[in-house]
Amino acid sequence: MTNQASPVEEQEKLLEEALNVVKVQAFQMKRCLDKSKLMDALKHASTMLGELRTSLLSPKSYYELYMAITDELRHLELYLLEEFQKGRKVADLYELVQYAGNIVPRLYLLITVGLVYIKTNSNLRRDLLKDLVEMCRGVQHPLRGLFLRNYLLQCTRNVLPDTIEAQNENEGTVRDAIDFVLMNFAEMNKLWVRMQHQGHSRDKERRERERSELRILVGTNLVRLSQLESVTEDEYRRLVLPGILEQVVSCRDAIAQEYLMECIIQVLYYAVQQLAAGVGHGGRVPPARAARHPRAGRQLSRRDRSGVPHGVHHTVLYNRRVCDVQVFPDEFHLANLQPFLKSCAELQPGVNIKNIIIALIDRLASYSQRNEGNVNLSVVLEDGKEQEVQLFEVFSDQVAAITQSRTDMPPEDMLSLQLALLKLAQRCHPDKLNYVDRVLAHTDKICVDIHQARYCPNIFKKVGKQTLEHNTPVFKELMKILKLPADHYKNILTLIKLQNYAPLIRHLNYPGRIMIAVHLVNDVLESDTMISTPEDVESVLAMLDVLVKDQSDQPTSEPDVEDFTEEQGLLARLIHHLRSESADQQYLILSAARKALQGGGAARIQHTFPPILFHAYRLAFMYKDLKEQDEMWEKKCQKIFQFCHQTISMLVKAELAELPLRLYLQGALAISEIGFANHETIAYEYLSQAFSLYEDEISDSKAQLAAITLIIATFEQINCFGAENAEPMRTQCALAASKLLKKPDQSRAVALCAHLFWKGPKDGQQWPLNEGGRALECLKKAARVAQQCMDGGVQAQLLAELLGRYALLRERGNHHATTNLIDAIIQKIREELANLDQSEEVEQITKHFHNTLQHLKNRMECPDPDGLGYEGLVLS
Amino acid sequence: MSFFGFGQTADIEIVFDDADKRKVAEVKTDDGKKEKLLLYYDGETVSGRVNVTLRKPGSKLEHQGIKVELIGQIELFYDRGNHHEFISLVKELARPGDLLQHTSYPFEFANVEKPYEVYTGANVRLRYFLRATIVRRITDIVKEVDIAVHTLCSYPDVLNSIKMEVGIEDCLHIEFEYNKSKYHLKDVIVGKIYFLLVRIKIKHMEISIIKRETTGSGPNTFTENETVAKYEIMDGAPVRGESIPIRVFLAGYDLTPTMRDINNKFSVRYYLNLVLMDTEDRRYFKQQEVTLWRKSDKSRLPLHNAHIPQTLSHPSNTMLRQPSASSDDNSTRAVSPMNPENAMQRSISPAMPDGDKQNGPSQMEQEKPEEITQKLSNTHIENNQENVRAQEPPQVNEKPPIAEKPVIAEKPQISEKPVLNRPDSETSQSQ
Repeated sequence: MTNQASPVEEQEKLLEEALNVVKVQAFQMKRCLDKSKLMDALKHASTMLGELRTSLLSPKSYYELYMAITDELRHLELYLLEEFQKGRKVADLYELVQYAGNIVPRLYLLITVGLVYIKTNSNLRRDLLKDLVEMCRGVQHPLRGLFLRNYLLQCTRNVLPDTIEAQNENEGTVRDAIDFVLMNFAEMNKLWVRMQHQGHSRDKERRERERSELRILVGTNLVRLSQLESVTEDEYRRLVLPGILEQVVSCRDAIAQEYLMECIIQVLYYAVQQLAAGVGHGGRVPPARAARHPRAGRQLSRRDRSGVPHGVHHTVLYNRRVCDVQVFPDEFHLANLQPFLKSCAELQPGVNIKNIIIALIDRLASYSQRNEGNVNLSVVLEDGKEQEVQLFEVFSDQVAAITQSRTDMPPEDMLSLQLALLKLAQRCHPDKLNYVDRVLAHTDKICVDIHQARYCPNIFKKVGKQTLEHNTPVFKELMKILKLPADHYKNILTLIKLQNYAPLIRHLNYPGRIMIAVHLVNDVLESDTMISTPEDVESVLAMLDVLVKDQSDQPTSEPDVEDFTEEQGLLARLIHHLRSESADQQYLILSAARKALQGGGAARIQHTFPPILFHAYRLAFMYKDLKEQDEMWEKKCQKIFQFCHQTISMLVKAELAELPLRLYLQGALAISEIGFANHETIAYEYLSQAFSLYEDEISDSKAQLAAITLIIATFEQINCFGAENAEPMRTQCALAASKLLKKPDQSRAVALCAHLFWKGPKDGQQWPLNEGGRALECLKKAARVAQQCMDGGVQAQLLAELLGRYALLRERGNHHATTNLIDAIIQKIREELANLDQSEEVEQITKHFHNTLQHLKNRMECPDPDGLGYEGLVLS
Repeated sequence: MSFFGFGQTADIEIVFDDADKRKVAEVKTDDGKKEKLLLYYDGETVSGRVNVTLRKPGSKLEHQGIKVELIGQIELFYDRGNHHEFISLVKELARPGDLLQHTSYPFEFANVEKPYEVYTGANVRLRYFLRATIVRRITDIVKEVDIAVHTLCSYPDVLNSIKMEVGIEDCLHIEFEYNKSKYHLKDVIVGKIYFLLVRIKIKHMEISIIKRETTGSGPNTFTENETVAKYEIMDGAPVRGESIPIRVFLAGYDLTPTMRDINNKFSVRYYLNLVLMDTEDRRYFKQQEVTLWRKSDKSRLPLHNAHIPQTLSHPSNTMLRQPSASSDDNSTRAVSPMNPENAMQRSISPAMPDGDKQNGPSQMEQEKPEEITQKLSNTHIENNQENVRAQEPPQVNEKPPIAEKPVIAEKPQISEKPVLNRPDSETSQSQ
């Protein structure tokens, strides 16, 4: 076991031995050449070449050997070339080398000598090329054959005829070159494919690896074809492409098909870039122009390539990345899409056809973009007419054909193809939305098929709403398809124009739909899109159905509150983008939105209705601003507030309390601000609704305090009420305040009630309903209640707050709040504070208290000219 | 008398008339060396002079007459004593008498018929020579000089090709074609092999040229086979549908024209042997006789003109099969009947006028191990000593006991009943 060499060492040893032979024989050969002993030199060359007959080397080692040997053959070639050019021709050399008994050395020599003949006598070119490529058939061993033919290809690369018409028929034309390379390509491809079927099946992996190492040998043929300058588009269509495609299709080998198709597709960016760089010194050439003259581009690239010295040229195989064969210019493709795609449909099942198509589409799409639109999509036909190639149409048809013919194609691949099509439509035909829509429609169909395929076999399975599972490949592809237009247009208004977009979303399962909806909403928010017609609103909300309504397939367990809130928060933000410049339109938008949203259930409407309401309030203000132009504004405002009332009552019906209460109050404020006809009644209604909510629904004491505080504050802000409406309201409030459960709450609420009876002057006017006495009563009652508190600290705090209120009332002009009373409070607080132990709380209270005192002191020093002063107050 | 160093004696020299202009040809002598001899053709006059030089000028040489003979003879090596002369012409140069001085006698054999070509083989030699004799009482003075004779032929340029479909049932079917059945010695064999069915793992394929020399007759027949050339024409394993070109230049090999029944003494025939070797070193072969002939140099000249590689046009140029990557692509075989070149490819070719009977499907053989001497230094096709001899009854003791069940030669066992139409998948297995 141990003394057996590892395969790697074994290879190294074999290779080294072979290279030694090569070294010795090459040395002998060169010595014989120096002495002009050609026959002996040939004999040594033949022995050297005999090393290439080995079957023991791996492709990598064989490649190294091949490189070493072909380097040495170079000497022979140069020698012969020199001799021939000096006129010292060796008779029958082409025949002589054919006496070599073994075919591999014989053919290498034949190619070397043939090349010398061609170079020195172009008359022989056509026939020799034909002969060489034909004779190479004798090597059927894949590895040896591939390298032999590669040698042929490398040797002939600068001597292929490349003219449309030949002056001398024997020199051959570009047709002969095409035939030559195509034939060589066909044979090499056969050999390459054959490797797959040799040897043991357990070596499959290694074989495939080796094959992919060798693929560039096959691909070089295509490079050579693309380097022929005189190939016209017509020839490309009639000879080159069909020739290649026939091979590709008929070889029925997935690896070959995939690689070769990609080879055909790869762009000659290189060439175009070369042109840009070449002209770049003088001035920039717009890329469109560069692409329109691909010939010129290729000229440069070709010069560049063929400038590489002979030996170095091969080294691509193992030293660089083994793939980058870039072949034909874009124009050629445009003219030949149909045959190409048709061939795609005929490829082996194993071929990853989607990669091929996608690569092609990407290439064409970027080509189209480079050319700024459709200009260069026109192709000149044989009859001279220009025909616009409808890229999309061609692809769409062919992709449909492919998906139909390949029943075994995994659904995710079908979707990937659609994705590619979608890209194409968006990039090449930015103006044709219907193309995008068509792709979506087709995708929809595919999804339906997927469902059927999945559910049909089992008819007993519950046929509910059929959706795609999360995170399956199909799901991911569909997701990409959906996101693509969204990210491309960045405008949800465009998306809703796509009739098949929203239905497509429904194929996703619940989390998927949420994801896409969130994505869409975020897009809207980011791009600050305004949705400004009721129809759009309906469509948008329909598209976001999953956020708007409960779903049948939604998980039965409680959703994660945080996530849910976040989603609804987004939706709420979206509502702020439902906005039109026209007020009437805005109303319709809001109605539409509410209509769409009201099915969402309590959990949702508590998030979604508030923005609608605030929108509505804002709208009312808008009408107020418009009152000069719109006679109907008052009616409209009423209608708005009716709408709001309904909306809020829906929230109430949804058993919400605090939210509608606040919204009512907000509404009341707005109403009083706007002051349209009949507004007092409506405002009263709003307030009273709020109040009854307070009475009926709010039971938590803290919430009660907060609510009553809000109600009082709102009332304080509203100035529209007459005595008739104000009186019940403030007595009710005072009553409610005094009924609060906890004493501190009671005290505070009652103190607040003082503001119900005494408001500050507005615009220099006193509020007509001011009742100073009652206000003071409230404060006194609050003080009383405060003193009932057991905790001294709380008492002090409440009193300190009360002191502020007294001061405020006085400053607002209520002379009932006398300095004596204030002084009494101050004393009381001081007393209380003195009884308290030092603590943080107490410190705060003290601070509060001292601040208030400071304020009073300030006021005494520079009294407010309008308000009542603090004469007589003594602050010690 | 001369034994004792006294008495007169003389040297004979034969000088040919146009010796300086006449072409020479290399001829093998029986000891294997080559010598250059003047070359004559059938019907040419052989003329010259016989010069007799006296060793001791002044004293006379007595003789019973001087003659010169032209002899063509066949020597069989196993029968040294008997030479079969098929030509014996005599010219008297001088009547009996005395020679007093150097004398030169002209001679001429006018328009001599020389029906056979000189030949030196393993068991037989055919030679022509002139013999000048000074007849004396005790020992004659004799001088012999060999000449070379080439027989020329001419055949029409268009000759029947050899086409044949051969194979071993369900194992290997090929169709081969050589462009001619008669080749001149500087000719090129052009042809191709088309693989119809391949279920064995072929390693390589070669063409060898076998020379078969038959001497004697009846029970005393000796046959000597010699592989004159071995020429690899394919490396690796082909698949169904491949066609492999053949091109063999004959000029470089040591060949003679085909000789049939020369004077009822011997024959030399040539065979093209197409050999396929599989990975287990079994050989499959098919021999095919070809006629070699010598073409006159004049008409050969243009062909050999310097730097135009002749023979570019081998059949595959005209009978190109569509290249196709698919190994089992049957359509490539469906050649269109429109193309007369193709029409002959598969079918049994019409019987040849010259009695070539081997047309039509026939069996290939598997070869016995044979020792083939390597002639060409640069043909290095490996040994074939190890060849398993499949025809023979199983040689149990030579093989590991578990060796596959005794193979019966000609029909490599495909155990199941051969399917009539070969499934396409077969070929992939045979790759």
